[in-house]
Amino acid sequence: MDSDEQDLYYGSGGDVVSEEEDGYYCNDGDAAGDDEPDRTTFTQETTYTILREEDVKKRAENDIAQVSTLLSVSRGLACHLLCRNNWCLNAVYDQWFADAERSDELPPHQESGEQLCGICFEPFEIEDMVSASCVHSFCAGCWKTYISFSINDGPGCLRLQCPEPKCRAVAGVDMVESMASVDEKQKYYGYLYRSYVECNRNRKWCPASGCEFAVEFKDAGGCESYDVTCDCYYKFCWNCIEESHRPVDCKTVEKWIKKNSSEAENTNWILAYTKPCPKCHRAIEKNQGCNHMTCRSPCKHQFCWVCLGPWEKHTSNSTCNTYRNQSSNINEESRERVKHFLARYTHYYERWDSNDKSKKRALTDLNQARNQHIDTLAQTQGENMAGVQFVIDAWTQIVECRRVLKWSYAYGYYHTSKEKPGKLDFFGYLQGEAEAALERLHYCAEKEMSKYLIADRPLEDFKDFKSKLLQLTAVTGNYFQNLVLALENDLSEVDDETSGTKN
Amino acid sequence: MQASRARLFKEYKEVQREKVADPDIQLVCDDSNIFKWTALIKGPSETPYDGGVFQLAFSVPEQYPLQPPQVRFLTKIFHPNVHFKTGEICLDILKNAWSPAWTLQSVCRAIIALMAHPEPDSPLNCDSGNLLRSGDIRGYQSMARMYTRLAAMPKKGELVFR
Repeated sequence: MDSDEQDLYYGSGGDVVSEEEDGYYCNDGDAAGDDEPDRTTFTQETTYTILREEDVKKRAENDIAQVSTLLSVSRGLACHLLCRNNWCLNAVYDQWFADAERSDELPPHQESGEQLCGICFEPFEIEDMVSASCVHSFCAGCWKTYISFSINDGPGCLRLQCPEPKCRAVAGVDMVESMASVDEKQKYYGYLYRSYVECNRNRKWCPASGCEFAVEFKDAGGCESYDVTCDCYYKFCWNCIEESHRPVDCKTVEKWIKKNSSEAENTNWILAYTKPCPKCHRAIEKNQGCNHMTCRSPCKHQFCWVCLGPWEKHTSNSTCNTYRNQSSNINEESRERVKHFLARYTHYYERWDSNDKSKKRALTDLNQARNQHIDTLAQTQGENMAGVQFVIDAWTQIVECRRVLKWSYAYGYYHTSKEKPGKLDFFGYLQGEAEAALERLHYCAEKEMSKYLIADRPLEDFKDFKSKLLQLTAVTGNYFQNLVLALENDLSEVDDETSGTKN
Repeated sequence: MQASRARLFKEYKEVQREKVADPDIQLVCDDSNIFKWTALIKGPSETPYDGGVFQLAFSVPEQYPLQPPQVRFLTKIFHPNVHFKTGEICLDILKNAWSPAWTLQSVCRAIIALMAHPEPDSPLNCDSGNLLRSGDIRGYQSMARMYTRLAAMPKKGELVFR
């Protein structure tokens, strides 16, 4: 992303990452931005921080320096302790002070003369040999290949120890610094900073493809919202790493996604719309009117679609029109039931899917608005950047609402079937209102705006358009706010009404 | 490749010198290939393997000693951490706990130690592991003893250890 769009974004991201940075706009989250009421995300407070690559590096180095100073240990041992304790400072300290048997670092072995290297078995002068923080010396060449092999073998190199069996002395970052090649060092540090994010349960990578930001979540306890908006604008749920799905809970989302991807619905379709050939049991779909069925070769069995009896016994004395046995009737019933379930699922799935597609499309439009349209608008309509910000707000609102609407269909599928009809109606009402408002807003932002984009001079009614879009944005926001709150309360208003506590 | 060859050559010389030092291990390098070794080890006393002589096959990788050698039993053995059919050995130092400071000789010592102290919780031979885990020490010992007698006893007059 380029710097322009960062400057223009007044988003709802995390809080301040680095105090030194003069956070005028709040891409890293600036203090001023947090004071404003957040119209688009329905979240109350930010409980997370977006970390860029440099931030991850800086923070990891901070932690290393802190442990190293506090425990008076080498940088290498500090790294090792942090890696071993998943970058949790308290765990490092607890373990350090609890572990009475820890091997204190020894001063390097000062002797002269020759010694055999324990790896290549060649004799070396003592001063040419190297040891970790222990007494076991190996020649510099063997150390180099040992370290290099370990780094190229994967992130396990972060736990590298003295080659002497049973010796737990750490061969850490300081040894890597002095022995490894430039490439290997880079690789090592890559693993180190990656472990800073991956090993700690309060940090995760943004799941958006191609995004390299990390997120640190401050687990305040009792925090209600897991919604995270990365600086790449992707919104996801901290808890399940799926796309943000408020007001629906993680469990429902998991169930829904599983259902959508499972073969179960295909099976249901086959059950509902096909019958097995009575002879070879291959599933057959009837796509023509006549009830005289002939199975495909090599079976070629001829039978009646209705009663599944052989066709030759069918012609003269029609056996099909009189009521015979119950079992086939039960089959028909279950077939109808399955058909009903399937139709219901299809209803919700289609709407979920269509809103998902609309959301994706709106996201592209939002980016286009950010990158091009507001510049064009500002130029043609003679506004400053703050004067055309309402377009971004509108598109951000559209994306957000499409997302909520989409998940409200998953909610509808799981939560309205056995509920009281009052709840279903209320849900339908709220969803319908919200959807209608969104359609108006979406139409206005998509269709009515184009006129001002292609104009070569300021148009008089631009002010009207602006106030209309602003109003639609606010109104739609309200409708969705209501929908979200109602669904999060599991439509409890209906319960109140029916039990008579509300007039 | 050169490093591994040089190191194996050092080990070869060391083995010639140390032969007397460790009477339980006899390491022999293949005449034509320094990356193939065989070892004969004596079953440790006070175990069901006592009196048996077990043959191990070493296949040394080119990355040795950065990578561990592949070792397996050629002699049939009933032991929780040795695959009954292939002779494959489950031992941490032959996998992730390997260090280049280990030698073929010290690997043999580690295997002898494993014979005396089986780890029934990570079994390659489930029958053997289950006997130990269920506390049937006698059952395990008699099975192990039987296979030692059947497969690992030097034949009369055969001089295994020089």
